Parts: sequence; structure tokens; C-alpha cells
Amino acid sequence: MDLCHHLEKLKAQRYLFGLLVAGVTVWSFLVPDAAMFQHPEFARIFFWHIPCPINQQIFMLVGAYFALAFFLTPQSDLRKRMLCDSRAEAALDLSMIFAVLTIVSGMIFSQVEWGIYWDWDPRQYSYLIVVLIIGAYFAVRAAFPDPERRASHSSAYVLTATLPVFFLVFVFPYLPGIENNSLHPSGTIFGGGLKGDYLYVFLTVLTLVTWISVWLYRMRVRANFLEFELANGQLEIHRSLAAPATVVRPVSVSDENGKQTESPRKADQGVSGRE
Amino acid sequence: MNSSWPAEIRAILWKEFAGELRSRTGLVTGGLFCLVTIVTAATALFNEDVNKRGLRDVCCSQIWVIVLFAAVLTLPRTFLAEEEQGTSDLLRLTARPHAVFWGKAIFNLIQTAALALLVAGLFVGLTGLEVRYPAMFLLCLLSGGAAMTGIVTACGAIASRAANRTLLAGAIALPLIIAPCQWGVAGLRSATGAGFPQDGWMAMLGLCAYAALTLLIAPWIYATIWKS
Amino acid sequence: MVAVSNVGKRFGHRWLFRGLTFEVTQGHGLVVLGRNGSGKSTLLKLIASLLPPSEGAVRYDFQSPRVDIGYAALDLALYPQMTVREHLEFCGRVRGCPSRADELLELIGLARADATPSAQLSSGMRARLKLGMALQPRPKLLLLDEPGASLDADGRELVAGICREQLKSGALLVATNDPQERAFATHELELAG
Repeated sequence: MDLCHHLEKLKAQRYLFGLLVAGVTVWSFLVPDAAMFQHPEFARIFFWHIPCPINQQIFMLVGAYFALAFFLTPQSDLRKRMLCDSRAEAALDLSMIFAVLTIVSGMIFSQVEWGIYWDWDPRQYSYLIVVLIIGAYFAVRAAFPDPERRASHSSAYVLTATLPVFFLVFVFPYLPGIENNSLHPSGTIFGGGLKGDYLYVFLTVLTLVTWISVWLYRMRVRANFLEFELANGQLEIHRSLAAPATVVRPVSVSDENGKQTESPRKADQGVSGRE
Repeated sequence: MNSSWPAEIRAILWKEFAGELRSRTGLVTGGLFCLVTIVTAATALFNEDVNKRGLRDVCCSQIWVIVLFAAVLTLPRTFLAEEEQGTSDLLRLTARPHAVFWGKAIFNLIQTAALALLVAGLFVGLTGLEVRYPAMFLLCLLSGGAAMTGIVTACGAIASRAANRTLLAGAIALPLIIAPCQWGVAGLRSATGAGFPQDGWMAMLGLCAYAALTLLIAPWIYATIWKS
Repeated sequence: MVAVSNVGKRFGHRWLFRGLTFEVTQGHGLVVLGRNGSGKSTLLKLIASLLPPSEGAVRYDFQSPRVDIGYAALDLALYPQMTVREHLEFCGRVRGCPSRADELLELIGLARADATPSAQLSSGMRARLKLGMALQPRPKLLLLDEPGASLDADGRELVAGICREQLKSGALLVATNDPQERAFATHELELAG
């Protein structure tokens, strides 16, 4: 019910978002061509390309954060642990989507700029490996049918994979031998390569892409967690699946000669059983 | 009445060695795989002068590809075999997770070093590849092996309780060790004279840092899934 | 010794048991009864901390479950290449306690088979070895899952002696459907299943 209500409220926001996307698309064609590129008129694709790896890394870090939170949550608090797992899974879903979009948009830019879709540029194949690493996360999830074990092992994998992904995105492309052999431009954002209108268009697109990704993330978290709550809720609804009653009772104790004592020892604790 | 960490790790390490020397599964599988692939690679390079610049790069890559696949084939078995045999419960009853991980990781380090040296030694012997800086060559192999060991051992631990554990361990480990593999190739290139020596030392530094970080983090990750 | 508080365990969507609360102290012998599939072995594994509970908590009043709990079960696997003696020595080294290999081998009746790899042992001999490994650290809490299942008459007598000794110095939990093994119980817990 909460999800449906939320979707209704979003109708107005969707129209607004659509208008903003249309507006910034038009704006991106109104700014002057980028002089430093071989085909300056086609360089506009980077407005949509650059936010993709940025969001990919943000969601990767969000996933790692919730994977860590999963393990820091006490085992007795199953609900909170599974919520952390739902959030981590949603984050990795979006990280994968943005990693693929990074590669696809990068390939289009590569074709336009250098006449080839894929030339094993270090930036290209480092992101290909990132896609493989994130894909392995889903392989781990698929390999465990039990939800709690699936959550713990996939969270362990995320924590294992965070360092290699960080290295591939932030360290590898800037290594001395690698950076010189790469056609990919560097220092565009942090080196002050974007100025004036280009900077404003880029920031607007980044804001819009982040806005929709956060919206998708929240929807995904709700959907993931709903699956868990439905499964848990069924256990309460169907009495036939309820746990059987248990009884602890004292018994008379026999001594070594097999002679029974006169009165049985009492249990130290009472027992509760569920019907 | 609690054991010290070194004693516990030594006990796990002894168990791994005893099991391996008696069954020889890892030795036979890994060794045979290395031998077959090296012979195949050497055959592909038949009659070529491998010390030409372009081919030296190819040879360095081939060495690491063989070491990579041999490692993925043999290293996860330290954890997978425990689950397949059903002896993981016995370990959980008696040992601590950090000690179990370190015992198996040290065993894997020794195994990887042996595999890497076997592969490189046979490859150099069969193809006649010139090694200009032997110390760099050796250290690069050892540090690259260490970097691979941390990741592959952790992946073996994660995959050990899955239904399709053997396939899964390899599938999740391979993407994670491509990066250290590239460093390893850069290091070997420098050691064979195809690159600058300073690049080789930088690559080794990177491999050592990678190995140290993964081997520090992995035991904690293993402890979290120890009894899940 | 051990306090089980509102413990439940489920596998997938099926709860084996819920809301179990009891305490076992020194001198107590708790026998867990129930039909096949009622969760007897699972309960023992929970108390041995081999499995986490799905809800509730198991609390111990000793420092280290791996040293103060002895656990023996039919489905506990052994290393096929390791000999009987090596199993005891390995467990001792890992736990940090004296292996007492000679003493235990005499007790469990495997002194002559000490150099035999466990893969070559019969099921009864394997059961005896597991008993030896469980007794090795002189546990405060001994957990036995169907201890007499693979044993001959001498073996069952051995189990009875072990249980009587354990009740003098610690606590005992036995999962069984064998009437003979119920004889040393001070309490019974029946899982309805």
C-alpha cells in the first residue's frame, strides 16, 4: 500500500523530471562545440557519459557500506540485517547498470572520436573488469537459496571486491605506463577542464541522473525488502507452518544400582512452547 | 587452556600439508595443468625467437595466464575440500576462524610460490626466454603469487558453502585477480628487458601492497561467515 | 552452564522449533527426545555453536565453547587421511589443551588402531574416535547426538560410563530415542516436531 501511494505521489514529479531532461538536452545542443575534440559537435555525449562512472562508484561504496552494516548488526536482529542486505543489493544493481552505461556511452564516444568502438584502451577494459566483478556478486547471490546465508556471503564478497574495484577505477588508469598509453582524456573535471556553460550543463545532468538513480534505488530497496517481509509474514499467517510445542519435564533419577529416588528433581527453569 | 595463535596456525598448516602429501590431489592437478599448458604454449612459439620485443611481452603474459588459471584451479580447494568432506564442522568446533584462514592462506602461499616457480622455470627452459634481471623476475613471481593467494583464498572461503562451489570459486576469483596479474606482467616485462627496471620495481611494490591489504582484510571477512 | 533463551531455528520457511527456553547446570543430564526430523540434532548443533539460532540466544557461563564443550555426532566427519592418533593430537593442538592421546585411546578402545587412517575405520570405531575427541578437553558440557547408534554392547557400556562420569563433574545433553540412553537423564525435553 505504501508503495502504491508513493507511486501516485511521484506522477507529478515524473512530469517535472521529464521536462527537466528535455530542457537540459536542448541546452546541451545550444552550448558551443568543444574545441579540443576531433569532432567537436559530438563531444556532447560526455555530458551523459561522465555521470555514469560517478554514480557507479557512489553506489558501489553504498553497497560496501551496507554490507559492512550487515555484519555489524547483531545476529538476533534479523529484520535489520535483511534490510541492510536489501540496500546493498539495490546499490549493486544500480552500480552494475551504471557500469554498463559507462562502457556503452564510452564506446559510442570512442567510435565518434577515434573511429573504433573498442581498442582495449586501459580505461575501457578496467571498466569491463568492474562489470565482471559486480556480475560475480550476482553469481554469489544466485548460488545460495537460503536468504540469510545468501545475504552473509554476498556481503562478504562485496567487502572483498571493494578494494579491487577502487584500484581499477582510481589507481590503475593513473599509473605511469598506463596513463601515457591511454587515449581517454584525464583531468577533465578535477583538472578544471570544464568551464562556463559546459560546467553548468554537466552539473545539471549529473543532478538529474543522480536524482533518478536515488529514486530507482529506493524503489529497489522497497521491492527487495518486501520479498523478505512477505516470506516472513507467511510464517505467521499459516498456522500449519507454526512451530510445534515443546515440553521439558523432570524425570526420576536412578542411582548406580538402578534404584529410583523417592522424588523427582525439579527442572530449574520453566519452558515455554508455542502452539 | 587456550592455544596461542602461532600454535593454532601451525596445527592447521600441518593438517593441510599432511592431507596434501597423502592425497596429492592439488599437486597432481596443479602440476599436470601447468605442464600441459606450458608445453602447449611452447609448441605455439615453436621456431620463434621469443626474445624479440613483441614476443617477450607475449611470453610474460603467457606465464601469468598459466599461473592465474593454475591458482584458481588449486587454491580454493583448501576450503572447498573441507565442505565436500564435511570436516568443516570439526574445524568450527575446535578452531578459531582467523587461525583457520591464516593456516590455509600460508599453505596456499607456499603452493602458489611453488606453482609460479615451476611454471616460470619450465617456460624459460622450454622457450629460451632471456631473463635480464633474475632477482626482479623471482621477486615479481613471488609477490604476484602472494597477491593472488589473498584474493583466491578469500573467494574459496566465500564459495565453499554454495551448491556449485567449484565453479563459483573460480568465477568470482578471476575478475578480482586480473588487476594484480597486469602488474605481474609489467614486472616480468621489466625483468626480461622489455620494459624499464623502475617500472618493474613499482609493479612489485604494488603487488606487495595488494597482497598485504587482501591478506589483512580477508581473515576478518572469513570470520563473519564462519558460522553463518 | 548453558542457558537457552527463546531460541528458534528455521530452514527456509519452515520452523523446526521456536520459543525454547531452558537452563542446564552442573550435574544435569538433559535428554532430548523426538521423532525423526523434529530438530534434536539441530538443537545440539545450536548449543555447540555450529549453527546460529534464527531467533533467541544461547548463553554460556564459561569462556570458550570450543574448549569447554565436547560434541560428538554421527554426521561429524573425520579427515580421511589422518590416523586416529593424529585426530586426537590435532584437536589438542588447535584447542590448546593436552591431547591425552594415550589415555583416550585406552578409554575408547582404539589403542591398537591408533595408526589407522579414519577412512579405514568401521562406523563404530569412528563413533568411538568422536567420543574421544569430545572428551579430550575435559568439557564442562558434553553434547552427544545418538551416541550409541553405531556401537556394539561394549561401546554402549562405554557411553554409559562416560555419561555417568560427566554428570559428576559437568553437564550432559543427549539427543536420542534409545531407552537405555535415557537412563542417565535428570530432565527430558521432547520436541514435538
